[in-house]
Amino acid sequence: MTTLVVGLGNPLRGDDGVGPLVAEAFARSLPPGADVEVDEVPEGGLSLMERLVGYDEAILVDAVRSGQHPVGSVLRLEVDDFPTQHAASSHDLSLAAALSLAGSLGLRVPTRPPIVAVEVEQVMEFSADCTPEVRAALPTAVAALHVEWRRLLAERRRKEDP
Amino acid sequence: MTRISIDPVTRLEGHGKIEIFLDQAGDVENAYFQIPELRGFEKFCVGRLAEDMPNLTARICGVCPEAHHMAATKALDALFHVEPPPAARKLRELFYSIFFATDHTTHFYALGGPDFVMGPDAPKADRNILGVIKKVGRDVAGRVLKMRHDGHALIQMMGGRRVHPNWGLPGGVSRGIDEEQRQEILGRGREAVEFARFSLKLFDDIVLGNPAYVEMIRSEAFTHRTYDMGTVDEKGRVNFYDGRIRVTDPAGKEAFSYAPREYASYVAERVEPWTYLKFPYLRKVGWKGLVDGADSGVYKATPLSRLNASSGMATPLAQDEHDRMYSTLGGKPVHHTLATHWARLVELLYATERWVELASDPELTSPDVRVLPSAKPDEGVGCLEAPRGTLTHHYWTDERGVLTGVNLVVGTTNNYAPIALSVKKAAQALIHKGTVVTEGLLDRIEMAFRAYDPCFGCATHALPGETPFEVRVLDAQGRLVERLARNVP
Repeated sequence: MTTLVVGLGNPLRGDDGVGPLVAEAFARSLPPGADVEVDEVPEGGLSLMERLVGYDEAILVDAVRSGQHPVGSVLRLEVDDFPTQHAASSHDLSLAAALSLAGSLGLRVPTRPPIVAVEVEQVMEFSADCTPEVRAALPTAVAALHVEWRRLLAERRRKEDP
Repeated sequence: MTRISIDPVTRLEGHGKIEIFLDQAGDVENAYFQIPELRGFEKFCVGRLAEDMPNLTARICGVCPEAHHMAATKALDALFHVEPPPAARKLRELFYSIFFATDHTTHFYALGGPDFVMGPDAPKADRNILGVIKKVGRDVAGRVLKMRHDGHALIQMMGGRRVHPNWGLPGGVSRGIDEEQRQEILGRGREAVEFARFSLKLFDDIVLGNPAYVEMIRSEAFTHRTYDMGTVDEKGRVNFYDGRIRVTDPAGKEAFSYAPREYASYVAERVEPWTYLKFPYLRKVGWKGLVDGADSGVYKATPLSRLNASSGMATPLAQDEHDRMYSTLGGKPVHHTLATHWARLVELLYATERWVELASDPELTSPDVRVLPSAKPDEGVGCLEAPRGTLTHHYWTDERGVLTGVNLVVGTTNNYAPIALSVKKAAQALIHKGTVVTEGLLDRIEMAFRAYDPCFGCATHALPGETPFEVRVLDAQGRLVERLARNVP
């Protein structure tokens, strides 16, 4: 069974691009033969939900501006926890609403994909670079993706062989 | 002055907020959007090669990458003084029609439509696509998702990539389509026409079948008599991809008609001391403040204004629907903001019919899809109708094609002033002599600006959708007397 990892964000908007950056670094760190697909999606909501159709397991990685953690902190969130930059879309449904829409239509989507979120600072200025604190968080965020991936694999094994 | 702020929570995508100023008597004096500006795009672009712009601008925001991609491509045609061959021009317009149909579908069903389908008095929790499904059935949502899926699949097939196309080039496109692909596009286009007709029928049954809704559409609270802007073809009919810009006055008479490259002679930007937003207005009419009427240069660039500014639609079914809308609402022009939703559905039908019309042309499979530029680049303007209004890209380069200047006027920006007017009127209905009727205030304001389908992703950043709102009512001493919140923990 393939696990889908999606980096959310816009690589031209400074720290907003951290999701795709982490996803890309994670893809490079995978052992050969790992059954993982990695992609990037610029917006949350319907488009993201549509990308998740057909998968039982997914992990999202996104930027968050909670203002409650130092810039560069890596957090683990769930879809209905706290709106990250793209889990609550501005011009679309929120991811939570999009996933319940999928559920009500009987579409196969991961019901509660975990989100690895990086606390960011600068998303309002066009730039292909992240702030240094966010860039420094990349290895931790990639490690957090590995933890989530292992957790999904362990859960799956438990289900298959209780 | 008493000040009321409606704050979407800052941690989302920038802190857009609506502020309502009251006068000494406690009545609404002014209202405006304040949106944090995405900075530095021009600086980001200068020094890069102009050919990168279709890909770069498509990444400005994930909401309408195709519109930026295509406007940038057209700007490159002008910059390099090259005319694409007929097949490339048709392919581009076909691609653009598919995008338009997909985008309008999303807006109507997921964003704007729920206000109508559920009714303005329905609880907020039901005024979303899930509520729509409860009311009209699951198969409708299935059709909406299929429409989006088909649109995205064809855009990917033609444009080369799922979200960000790498297709447009100065003088044409990077690849054409074969006969099998043309047949697939045509087949899905025919289904799309049926979907658009079904959507208009749904609007008929639910909205027009309910006199209370029709009354709301026609109510003064949602009416602004402004100028209208839209792109028209040689016969004055709506065209999304190319043509002249036509502006009609509040009575519906043509005020100006100009080529896209002349835009700066017709559109100016007003800077107001109380906001850093710049309000575009008609230069030749002049800025008279945030007011409507023939003396005020405020204009709208929306689906409704495109219809108002045109002589009609270039396809038969859409023309019928155009006629029906105007005869129902008392003739052309219509200035009821909420009729924008109806106009959007007429445009959806036009986009799908145009899709089929273009896909039926055997010339589409011609391998002749590019003319290589040979002239020196200097300056170019590319203009088209984005779903949210007229979109203009203007580039300057040196003779090597390295960008020295960039100016974008994006769809939503055109509508800053009318959006402010709409928010003000909505607030006026519920705020009198310092008394704020909190019940329904957020709903009315949301409905007022949602009709414009505003998107600040590229203009600045983000507002509507499910963005949380916070309303703060402060008295003259700045003390908090009332707080209203939605989607705020």
